[in-house]
Amino acid sequence: MDAAQNALADRSMTPQVLLRHATRAGGKSSRRGSLLLIGDAVAAAAFAGGVAMSVARLEGGLAAIWPWLLLLVLGAALRGLLARGVLTAGAHAAGLVKANLRRQAMAGLFVPARRVGDAAVTTLVEGVEALDGYVSRFAPSRLAAGATPLLLIAVAAFASPVAAGIMLFTLLPFIIGMALAGMAAAEESRRQFAALERLSGLFLDRVRALPAVLAFQAEGRTTDDLAIRSRELERRTGRVLQKAFLSSAVLEFFAALSVALVAVYCGFNLLGLLPFPVPEKLDLARAFFVLALAPEVYAPLRRLAAAYHDRQAAEAAMPAVARLTPPTELRAVSQPLRKAPAISLHDVTLAYPGGDRPVLDGLFLDVPAGGLTAIVGPSGAGKSSLLHLLLGLAPLSGGKIVVDGRPLEIGTSLAASSAWAGQSPLIIAGSLADNIGLAWPQATRDEIEAAARRAGLGMLIDTRPEGMDSLLDERGGGLSGGERRKLALARAFLKPAPVLLLDEPTANLDDKSAEALLPLILEAARGRTTIIATHDERLVRMAPQVLTL
Amino acid sequence: MKTALDQLIAGERRRQAGRLWFAGLSAVIAAVAAVVLLGISGWFITAAALAGVAGPAASHTFNFLLPSAMIRLLAILRTAFRYLERLQGHQAALGALAAIRPRLFASLAASPPRTALRYSAGEVSARFIQDVDAIEGMFIRLSAHAGAVASLIAGLILTAFAGWRAAFALALFAGLAAGWAWWTNRRAMAAPAAEVRQAVGRLKDVVAHMAASAPELRCYGLEKWAADRVAAEDERQAHSRLGLARVLGASAVIQAALTGLAAASVLLVARNASPPVAALAVLAAAMTMEGVQALVKSLEQDSDARAAAARLEPVLSHAPSPLTHLRLTAPSIELSEARVRLKAGERLGVSGPSGVGKTTLLEQLMAMRSAPRGAIRLGDLEVADLDPQLLRASFAYAGQEPVLLTGTVRENLRLAAPKADDAALWSALFAAGLDERVRRMPSGLDTWLGEGAGQLSGGERRRLTLARALLRPADWLLLDEPTEGLDAATEALVLERLDHRLAASGQGLIVVSHRPAPLALCGQVLAVKGLAEDGRVLFAARVPEHQA
Repeated sequence: MDAAQNALADRSMTPQVLLRHATRAGGKSSRRGSLLLIGDAVAAAAFAGGVAMSVARLEGGLAAIWPWLLLLVLGAALRGLLARGVLTAGAHAAGLVKANLRRQAMAGLFVPARRVGDAAVTTLVEGVEALDGYVSRFAPSRLAAGATPLLLIAVAAFASPVAAGIMLFTLLPFIIGMALAGMAAAEESRRQFAALERLSGLFLDRVRALPAVLAFQAEGRTTDDLAIRSRELERRTGRVLQKAFLSSAVLEFFAALSVALVAVYCGFNLLGLLPFPVPEKLDLARAFFVLALAPEVYAPLRRLAAAYHDRQAAEAAMPAVARLTPPTELRAVSQPLRKAPAISLHDVTLAYPGGDRPVLDGLFLDVPAGGLTAIVGPSGAGKSSLLHLLLGLAPLSGGKIVVDGRPLEIGTSLAASSAWAGQSPLIIAGSLADNIGLAWPQATRDEIEAAARRAGLGMLIDTRPEGMDSLLDERGGGLSGGERRKLALARAFLKPAPVLLLDEPTANLDDKSAEALLPLILEAARGRTTIIATHDERLVRMAPQVLTL
Repeated sequence: MKTALDQLIAGERRRQAGRLWFAGLSAVIAAVAAVVLLGISGWFITAAALAGVAGPAASHTFNFLLPSAMIRLLAILRTAFRYLERLQGHQAALGALAAIRPRLFASLAASPPRTALRYSAGEVSARFIQDVDAIEGMFIRLSAHAGAVASLIAGLILTAFAGWRAAFALALFAGLAAGWAWWTNRRAMAAPAAEVRQAVGRLKDVVAHMAASAPELRCYGLEKWAADRVAAEDERQAHSRLGLARVLGASAVIQAALTGLAAASVLLVARNASPPVAALAVLAAAMTMEGVQALVKSLEQDSDARAAAARLEPVLSHAPSPLTHLRLTAPSIELSEARVRLKAGERLGVSGPSGVGKTTLLEQLMAMRSAPRGAIRLGDLEVADLDPQLLRASFAYAGQEPVLLTGTVRENLRLAAPKADDAALWSALFAAGLDERVRRMPSGLDTWLGEGAGQLSGGERRRLTLARALLRPADWLLLDEPTEGLDAATEALVLERLDHRLAASGQGLIVVSHRPAPLALCGQVLAVKGLAEDGRVLFAARVPEHQA
């Protein structure tokens, strides 16, 4: 898996290669899906054989035809069973591939490479989900498109080598034509895809800018603008479609023509009217059999063309998924510190790749061991990014972070020595004790309860019938905003960490709840090196040292 | 009852009626050609075999020209009309799409601000891109229904040559296939399909939750734990998708078996007809069943489209309100909490620490947030009762977050004043201290600023929103932290020019800031101390002039 993950993180790979790597996780299920789809050739042959023999033996009455009718029905039913197998194998393989890819990409949330925002969530969910059709439909169709036609032609050769020859002969231009037309259609549809993306982008942009649009009462004008551009795209796409569909129509025409050719050859052979000598004399059963088989030869190729959209969607989504996936590397393990360290930043620069300017530029800061520093500044000034930097979640682009006189090694962070409390703590479905216990798995039940009480949750524990076992849902149901912050503080109390980082611990609380938190925050900070990013002037007044960004 | 979306779709169907009819007709011809082609091929071969067996005399009198010509003609017809069907169907769908998207935007803009401004980028793309695409598919598939009916009729006629019993057998199995497809789609698939959608929604919630909690997870060493939680959701999703695949698979088994049974029973009841006619009947029946299968596929996808429609419906239920050109003439603003009444042209500064509710006051005036009754009056009217359009007409607003369009400088400025000439644009840029910067840009006013004007710095973006607000000839200018992120020299320059411009235009001003310089422009300054429970902005004692 590590090799695959490193392959995914290799930035030089094309989407096609990335997809091939990613879909390996489908393993046995992928192979089973392809094999079952190829097995459809056998069922199709049984069906065709059943029809052909029944028609040929018709004059023999019921006694002569019933075994063949049975074969016909069984062949058809087998096709259904195989189709069912392909569907379930595809769903299974797609599940494996997506889960594996998502697990690898999840690591991207914890590397100092980018801001984690909506875009990362969209990539992790919709981006990975875009591979579903590719794995479950396109990939098996591709393998079957290579094998099934040849298999069916080989079967047909038993009945009529000449007809099989005709099929093979027409298959070649069909495949060449499909490759050429496919490439042309692919180019067209790529352009079409790009045009649609642009329009979608415009649409999303105007929704994003809705506050400004509303403020200037420009909704009418913006709607008109969107309508004009949509109609423009409609006209352009219409032309693209003409070409794209024409190339697939040419393919269908080839398929239809070759079926007609087989029919006409068989007819003339049966009549003995062929203008050239052939080394075979057909009977009705054999002729009917190859006729019934002929359309099946081309069906897998058409199925593949129909699944083309799945491939396109996956190829479009894959680069973003790969960008999110970090290479696995030997992460230097940071030993947790025993006592509160002195932390200093020397000329620190923090710039996200692709950002227009550094978030932090040439920053100096000295937090004495056990000291408390508040960081203030307007939204977007880099307060949170500074905290993320200490945890190895934001890139150190220049300068040094010095802990107790020693610069932090590359790849290490203060995370193992830190506790965290933010605006909206992570809450999982489970008991209050489970939720707090996440912070320090080895803690005993009593230690958890003690931490909860120190964080001011005593009232809550005592008034709820289940106490520490009160169940919470993921949305933090039943907890007030203040209680959620206290839960975060309880985690900080629980983990014996010498560093405490707080990100807007009192934001969006009413005055009373915010003021109740202040002494608890001071208590949590005691004996720890503490950094608080905040807007709250009451917190700022409490801090012996304030840094304004 | 018809929903707004139903009406919209019905309207588009009427507008695209020509193309849809053409697509349907093409589907009919293609479907009939496919059935007849296979039937005639079977008849031709069987008849040829009989003639061949009967000897050279029979062979030579056998009319092979007509059937072999028919085979070629039908092959061409099938291909050509399939092409026309697809083209017309897709073009109709695109046409409908071009109308539905803008309407969706207009409805979103007309929804109450709490709903309209709530959507995240991911949701917008899911709702307005993917869901609308699913609706598009409905238009494309309309012709499939016509094609299925046509192939059934053609199949019945051809099998009837082998006797009414054969036609009846085909009708029976085709009916069963269609009925089963309908039942699968409406009943059997509904629950697993909904389960898949819920599973994906839950997965998204968990991923978003984990992404938002990255620092906490990192501190407590829970990275792997988080990946496991997501993997567990993934497994649940895979499980529900497998359930859906099983339902679809069961349907595939039934449909395939029905096809086999249809062919076998047609042959069985046609065994006393002549072999060529029996061959015609059995192959026509097999092809008819394939035509009915197309209907099955189309019904399967319709359930996605219905789910998409259900999600779009709440947005579309807000009919776009016609824009009024009404506005109040030079209205005063009365803040009852502060016992202040501002006459047109006056200036008010609003101070107070961050997060205390200064911005809320401006958002209430802009109808971005509902105003509590009795708190604010515009002219003689209660703001809580005023139509948002009428309210916004009195204001030019530059919010705390600089929200800009992806586009050029000109496009961004023109949002405020669509008819403004270049001189007006430059004068607004001058007032915002941004004219020199724009003059240095490669294409001046037509310079592309990138996504959300991301190629400008934070301070430049803020000044561009200020210039934009200055372009709008409204009675009151509302500025939220207009000089945030500017250095002292730029701040002084911008404020000086703003002062001049306001003095010349006679516009009133409400400026929110925690910095002293912008407040110094104002005759009076109020300090906000918090929000009441009903959202009313509470003021501390009045701050004397020039002292924030």
